[in-house]
Amino acid sequence: MKKGKGMKFVGDSRISADKERFIPKDYSEYPGKTEAFWPNFLLKEWLVGAVFLVGFLCLAVAHPAPLEGPADPTDASYLPLPDWYFLFLYQFLKYDFVTTVYGAVIVPGIAFGALFLAPFLDRGKERRPHKRPIATSLMLLGIISVFWLTYEAAAAVDWEEKAEENKPEPTSEVEIDTEHPGYAAYENSCLSCHGGELEGTAGPSLIGIDYSAEEIEEIAIDGIGDMPPGQFDGTDEELQQLAEFIVSVNEQAED
Amino acid sequence: MSEKRNQVSRRQFLNYTLTGVGGFMAAGMLAPMVRFAIDPVLKTSAQSDMVAVADLSEISDEPTRIDWTIDQVDGWYESEVPKSAWVYKDENDDIIALSPVCKHLGCFVNWQGDESHPDQFYCPCHDGRYYKSGVNVPNTPPEEPLDEFEVRIDGQTLYLGQTKPHREA
Amino acid sequence: MLQKIYDWVDERVDITPLWRDIADHEVPEHVNPAHHFSAFVYCFGGLTFFVTVIQVLSGMFLTMYYVHDIENAWRSVYYLQTEVAHGQIVRGMHHWGASVVIVMLFLHTLRVFFQGAYKKPRELNWMVGVLIFFVMLGLGLTGYLLPWDNKAYFATQVTLEIAEGVPFVGEATKALLAGDPNIVGAQTLTRFFAIHVFFLPAALFALMAIHFIMIRKQGISGPL
Repeated sequence: MKKGKGMKFVGDSRISADKERFIPKDYSEYPGKTEAFWPNFLLKEWLVGAVFLVGFLCLAVAHPAPLEGPADPTDASYLPLPDWYFLFLYQFLKYDFVTTVYGAVIVPGIAFGALFLAPFLDRGKERRPHKRPIATSLMLLGIISVFWLTYEAAAAVDWEEKAEENKPEPTSEVEIDTEHPGYAAYENSCLSCHGGELEGTAGPSLIGIDYSAEEIEEIAIDGIGDMPPGQFDGTDEELQQLAEFIVSVNEQAED
Repeated sequence: MSEKRNQVSRRQFLNYTLTGVGGFMAAGMLAPMVRFAIDPVLKTSAQSDMVAVADLSEISDEPTRIDWTIDQVDGWYESEVPKSAWVYKDENDDIIALSPVCKHLGCFVNWQGDESHPDQFYCPCHDGRYYKSGVNVPNTPPEEPLDEFEVRIDGQTLYLGQTKPHREA
Repeated sequence: MLQKIYDWVDERVDITPLWRDIADHEVPEHVNPAHHFSAFVYCFGGLTFFVTVIQVLSGMFLTMYYVHDIENAWRSVYYLQTEVAHGQIVRGMHHWGASVVIVMLFLHTLRVFFQGAYKKPRELNWMVGVLIFFVMLGLGLTGYLLPWDNKAYFATQVTLEIAEGVPFVGEATKALLAGDPNIVGAQTLTRFFAIHVFFLPAALFALMAIHFIMIRKQGISGPL
């Protein structure tokens, strides 16, 4: 740009009236195989970006974002888990010898503090990883422990069962007929685990189950899955009424 | 000279390709989001059913105000919305149900709301008036007749549906 | 036509230097995958930025339907996912993008670390980058609560209990995050929403701007 006297401006502004012709720089004269960012290199980057985007969209279409049932603070059987990138911290805090202060403040504080201050801890001129063994080995140790802890946490969870138990279903609006002859039996034998509205607390919800009255009678006596046998305690007639009651609520929920 | 021209066209080619790839990325990213955002426009509105509001014996030649509620589903929010209509029998014994919403600025009109104009609907906000038929009185603020409800009669029960423009509008 | 509009604007605002400064710089051979395939490791920073753009856009669109209220949050998410066209995809993009952005940031951090690219004169840019990482983790943490499903509720409760365990400031931190010393509920959700949608993105944009300006000033680190 020209300096000093003789500069012309647009109106009373400070914008130069002399427009230089836009001539792209010629990087071919530079040492090495340097190239211009725009458009040469950006095109390559965007091609990578386009391929990445297609893959990403396939992921988003093929795997819908999970959504569980609405938050229910009384659900005592729920196993809380953080998102996967906090699993390592979650697993670390699970070990007996790790107290909250130690596991949530001191160790992560040191690790992330060291990461943040890495340029001042590793001050040598040398850049190659094998020429700065302490920094490299500490980082590798960190990565391995994070991967290991994440794996340990993830392997302990039955993800399919968890997803199955926590399907997103809008809060049911069934009305519980407490006058029903089977309700008394339900109240005595089932309510403590399956909830006052069959919504499930310690045990699963009884709404939307696919059992006949006879099968329900059997389950009430013999148990199923985690449910121990002998939960029901009463006469055969009461058992039959109980099964009818559960079936009737299910029929109502389907309408 | 020829080399220089060649260089410029190569640069242009790169620019066009760059725009193309950039456009592809922008489109791939934005297409689902834009469709998501404009969904309310493209959604076919569910035709709401006719609601039973009154017994025919309650209806006379004199407009009576009838109130009822409809269940409204607004996305994830379900609510009961109150509705009103001025209903009467005209000279042919047809049932007329007029919307009480003034066509001027949306206030509620009242039958015989103004003592100096009996047998007219009166809007207290800006002195708008309508004849009994729902047609606006000339030289008052409203410029259109009141809307009408769709009417259906089943036995002795009166059903009302959506509003539609007045038959004389 | 376009050229004329451009010239008209350029005469008044002098925009040419603005974009030429961004567009017109050299890319050295050692970061160009066309010359050395191993240079693909330099892509992760750019891809992180790309996913961040996807996150910002999809997040903006999601707020068209989402309500941050415990009565309606879950129902609005359920509604947008089941009833709105492409709602499944847009929420999927935001959900998976949150994971992908962490993966990309992680790879980018490792690349910079193992190449020793944080050494003089790039110490400040490394620290800004680590801060961006923390902000991203914060965005992930606060975003997790927003659908108000069981997972969200219980994970947040655990997070808040961990915060409470911190000596001296723990209880105050918890009350500050949850909006109430004892309840995880309506006020927690509105706070997390505000943090997720306004405070952390503002911090993120500022840090990203500093990150990019410093890269342009200092240039990319040389070959090993």
